[in-house]
Amino acid sequence: MRKIEDVMYQTNAPDGVNPDNVFFVQVDATKCEACGTCEEVCATGAIQSINEDGIHQVVDTSACMNCGQCLVNCPYGAIYEGVSFVDEVFEKLRDPDTVVVSMPAPAVRYGLGECFGKPTGTYVGPQMHAALRQLGFDYIWDNEFSADVTIMEEGTELINRVKNAGKKGTLPLPQFTSCCPGWMKFVETFHPELLPHVSTCKSPIGMLGSLAKTYGAHETGTPAKKMYTVSIMPCIAKKYEGMREEMADSGYRDIDATINTRELAYMIKKAGINFNSLKGEDPDPVLGESTGAATIFGTSGGVMEAALRLAYEVLSGKKLDNPDIKVVRTHEGINSADVKVPGFGTVKVAVASGLANANKLCEEVKSGKSPYHFIEIMACPGGCVNGGGQPLDPDVLASLFKSTVARINRRFRARRPQA
Amino acid sequence: MSIGKINRRGFIKACGVMAGYAVLTANMTKEAVAAAMEFVGLRQAQVYHADAKIYKIRKSQDNPMIKKLYDKKHGFLHEGPCGHMSHRLLHTDYTDRSARVSALKENGFKLKI
Ligand code: SF4
Ligand code: SF4
Repeated sequence: MRKIEDVMYQTNAPDGVNPDNVFFVQVDATKCEACGTCEEVCATGAIQSINEDGIHQVVDTSACMNCGQCLVNCPYGAIYEGVSFVDEVFEKLRDPDTVVVSMPAPAVRYGLGECFGKPTGTYVGPQMHAALRQLGFDYIWDNEFSADVTIMEEGTELINRVKNAGKKGTLPLPQFTSCCPGWMKFVETFHPELLPHVSTCKSPIGMLGSLAKTYGAHETGTPAKKMYTVSIMPCIAKKYEGMREEMADSGYRDIDATINTRELAYMIKKAGINFNSLKGEDPDPVLGESTGAATIFGTSGGVMEAALRLAYEVLSGKKLDNPDIKVVRTHEGINSADVKVPGFGTVKVAVASGLANANKLCEEVKSGKSPYHFIEIMACPGGCVNGGGQPLDPDVLASLFKSTVARINRRFRARRPQA
Repeated sequence: MSIGKINRRGFIKACGVMAGYAVLTANMTKEAVAAAMEFVGLRQAQVYHADAKIYKIRKSQDNPMIKKLYDKKHGFLHEGPCGHMSHRLLHTDYTDRSARVSALKENGFKLKI
């Protein structure tokens, strides 16, 4: 066990293991204070009290979506991560025969700075790229590039479903997004009958993994078998996704390792890099450049807005002058909107933030009452910026809640009968 | 359950029921989660700020590297989005994973869904 940015991690880089059997988060029973917060925030009920004392555990890996919302909300820091590739990544970075590729997600650059004392949400994209270069990554590629690819693929898929609706052989509407790995395991586990509604697209990181070892290998003249791809995510569920058996379309493992924002901050500190004095740098070309549409993938409603920026232009044949589609931006709950597309009609969309809300939309689709064309789901309330792998909220660490519970506990403890 | 036998945590829980500790906990949890969402809002605002002010190009289809990738003549994905190569590398199939949770429920585990 090792402490990384206020969270405990088990040093464990599983290879060839079925991720369905791995506890990506688990409770340290010796630290659990039985407050029940984790049970409250968990949408599935995977984490619950296992004895009279109220000690909590993730009862079974199959019921856990690996979202980490229990972990980021536990006021006692009692929940740890079960998988960490940090040591292996350091090892590969030292190995001259390995070409190490970085693939950071959009939301990482809105959380990383917090580990170095910057205000909440500070954008540190260029400094992050510079830090990755200093760490020794050979190619600074970026998952924001493949977010743009995702829009091209998923947007085109949506346009096809809408244009051909009702025709034989066409996949059904509404189309659900497939970018969030917590949501993907959720729909596979609790609503498998809805799978034809889910976009066939891999998530941006799934796309970048396979593109890096094919297109990227070709463009840079690098043998794919020497490449080691590191997915850097605001997320715990992405560790599960990277280990999925089917993620091997490049002919190799598409994603060799997955770390999260907290682990990247740890690596930067461990390497002695002075993050705050870094001058910003650009990512490497071909699989590095990105757009505003890609960066908003990090927040709830972002994939939707980015896809609409494409769908609007394709369906109407007109240029979208103002790319802001603010009606779909979502902070909490479920947001729905009618987007008028000239020459086409109305595109009906919904955005759900959090798996309990996702479940409501799933039930609606099953009952045949869903009016929507396109539904975006993010497992974490607010989206990836609030992912289970992001730096912890200092208010949760020193929360009013925690101090109040501690106060009550002290009171009870004082009155505790001598055993 | 006699109070003399249970340990500290069990005792807290038992007292909690009597003293309204459980109610307080639920309310405090809601408050704590609401406070956390304020913090999330700050991060979200920065994302939209960067989209509007920092990124020079704001639509995926306008990214020059996307144009290069899908170029009809020389592009790696020259058939366009959702073409053959796209389907091979960028699309996937999903798995029905419901069996294990069904078994859990049959064994008496109460889940929320
Ligand atoms: S939130 Fe933390 S302390 Fe509270 S019950 Fe869950 S694991 Fe235990
Ligand atoms: S990771 Fe998510 S699904 Fe798993 S126990 Fe925690 S809150 Fe529940």
